[in-house]
Amino acid sequence: MSNLEKIQKDFLDILLAGDTDKAVALAKETLDSGTAPTEFFEACIAPSLAEIGKRFETLDIFLPEMVTAAEVVQQVNDDVITPAVESSQSEGITSAGKVIMATVQGDLHDIGKNMVVLMLKVNGFEVIDLGTNVSPSEIVERAESESANIIGMSSLLTTCLPYMKDVFDYLEGKNTRDQYKVIMGGAATTPEFSEEMGANGYGHSAAEAVALCQKIMA
Amino acid sequence: MKNGMDYEVLLTALDRAENGPVVDEKIWDAEIIGKNFRETLKKYDIKLEKDDPYVTADDDLADRLWEAGMELAAKTGVYCIDTKRQMQWTRDELEKILAAMPDKVTVGAGDDTATIIHREPEEDSHVVIYGGPFGIPITEELFIPFHEAYAREPLIEIFNMGTLLSTRGRMIRAGSPWESIAAWQEKELAFEILNRVGRPGLAMGCVEIATTEVGELAGTTYGGYRPTDCHKINFISEQKTAYHHLIEASHYAHIDAFSESYFNPMYGGYVGGGAGVALACVSGSIVMRAAYQGTLNNIGPTHVHLSASTHPEVLRALQLGLQALSRNGNFLTSPFTRPTSGPGTKEIFYETGALAVASTVAGCSYIDASQSARGTKTGHASPLEVLFVAKLAHAVEGMSRADAAPIVAWMVDRYKDSQSDPLLGKPFQELHDMETLDAKPEWQKLFDEVCQEVEAEFGLKL
Repeated sequence: MSNLEKIQKDFLDILLAGDTDKAVALAKETLDSGTAPTEFFEACIAPSLAEIGKRFETLDIFLPEMVTAAEVVQQVNDDVITPAVESSQSEGITSAGKVIMATVQGDLHDIGKNMVVLMLKVNGFEVIDLGTNVSPSEIVERAESESANIIGMSSLLTTCLPYMKDVFDYLEGKNTRDQYKVIMGGAATTPEFSEEMGANGYGHSAAEAVALCQKIMA
Repeated sequence: MKNGMDYEVLLTALDRAENGPVVDEKIWDAEIIGKNFRETLKKYDIKLEKDDPYVTADDDLADRLWEAGMELAAKTGVYCIDTKRQMQWTRDELEKILAAMPDKVTVGAGDDTATIIHREPEEDSHVVIYGGPFGIPITEELFIPFHEAYAREPLIEIFNMGTLLSTRGRMIRAGSPWESIAAWQEKELAFEILNRVGRPGLAMGCVEIATTEVGELAGTTYGGYRPTDCHKINFISEQKTAYHHLIEASHYAHIDAFSESYFNPMYGGYVGGGAGVALACVSGSIVMRAAYQGTLNNIGPTHVHLSASTHPEVLRALQLGLQALSRNGNFLTSPFTRPTSGPGTKEIFYETGALAVASTVAGCSYIDASQSARGTKTGHASPLEVLFVAKLAHAVEGMSRADAAPIVAWMVDRYKDSQSDPLLGKPFQELHDMETLDAKPEWQKLFDEVCQEVEAEFGLKL
């Protein structure tokens, strides 16, 4: 096992324990010993987060552990990785893509959408979470202002599907449909509805949503 | 006011939604729920292991769970997502609210009433079947025959319908005038179905199409659904509410309507694993009564990835939660039957049957059945799965938890491996003769075979 592989294993254990101080300390120590910030991210953070995502898929860990791990990594990025990238003027960490996520208007359910947001984040995507009960116009406007690559929409309720259709209509109306990949999920959506709307993909689970976004951005 | 409701309790709940401490929603999820759940489970030593029986017979564990739930309910309360405030009640306030709960209610009217009573674990008393294709999407064309096939079954004592996919040929848009149009259409169709089957007073779960207060208020105004029906009001997971739910609670209080409060704690979500879900069943039921004063209490814990209430770990947590509620409060509680399998498969009987047996001996008062194939496929539901639940539940009334555990385990063994790639079955119109509405021979045969298997294996009379 190489030194970085051992550090990655330790980093994963620290993430699972939710220990921010230790994670920050390990990152600092590794960078101080000469590892580039991008190398640390790719060799330690990214595979650790991927492993955490896998463990959540199999429910070897639960949502709070995944939330905590994502928060710890955010702190490591803020305290160690980003300052190191800025001071070294080296190339920064490349985002896997920028995703706007929302539970559409009329629907207040948030857990499914929150899981997708987290799973995307732990897989390297930049995610703008607009929350629940979000109007089609807000989704379209934020996608534009954030220059998003992907618009992700969720709904648990069949009566909220018309609001998903509105998003497609608004994009067509603004002649910006081809600027975004639009994906959907949630119990009320189906592959058939997704196809009918002309969406770029449908995911039944958070894991499928991640795979879909990775495929889109490949 | 009826049903143990108290106007001051309602006003207090609304006050707390306006005046409670302001809390960030992420803090609510991660700390007020997540952290407090973990600490409380540890303090009360609540554990559910994978080798525990699917039906536990540990009264001390159930009572510790109740104590933990009371403590947690007073510590957490309910989060109002519109006001971003934490609605809290002291333990004394909660105890007074719980003491006012009725331990028996009669719903429906005329010759079609059903009386739901509080039951203890292992009690030899009647479990009411609240049956129908809960929330199954269904076209306008099939709406009447689909539901008539259920409503005519005498074992179904309270009736719940599926969800209209359109109204007058138009898409139904939540919170819009179309939700109001759909609610009224649903009510008209419901009463037509009840009259067709000669059960005009049968209590209806309502308003099924309502996803906002628009549908609920439209469907329960003059000439709409009746106070003798079972109106619905829910939490958003975990222990969250919104103005539209509080509007519904206020409306029910003013029209003296029965209401069924429900919520779906997530296995694998913020409350954690099985022990956390069991605790959520208790804590959530307590604060839901404080927030809404619902007459009936429906708990439908769900697997965070599979969206099913019949996953083995979820089942184990659910029955423990039911025992704690049954042994320590007057709750009129039911589980929510949400199998992964659809009609036309044997697995749907094993899934719904396991939940029915575990819940009945755990002390549930009634059973909500069934949202077949997790409610995801249009028309994928049949009365046969509800009849199976009813027959099995009645057959195990009075059975000990120890005797029920092997029945549940036997059934779980027959479906657990199919849950990750669910067998969705077939839609109603492929399984039933659309003239007589009877099950087609091949579907009836599967039902009969499973009944015979259970009878032969466990000596039950179905």
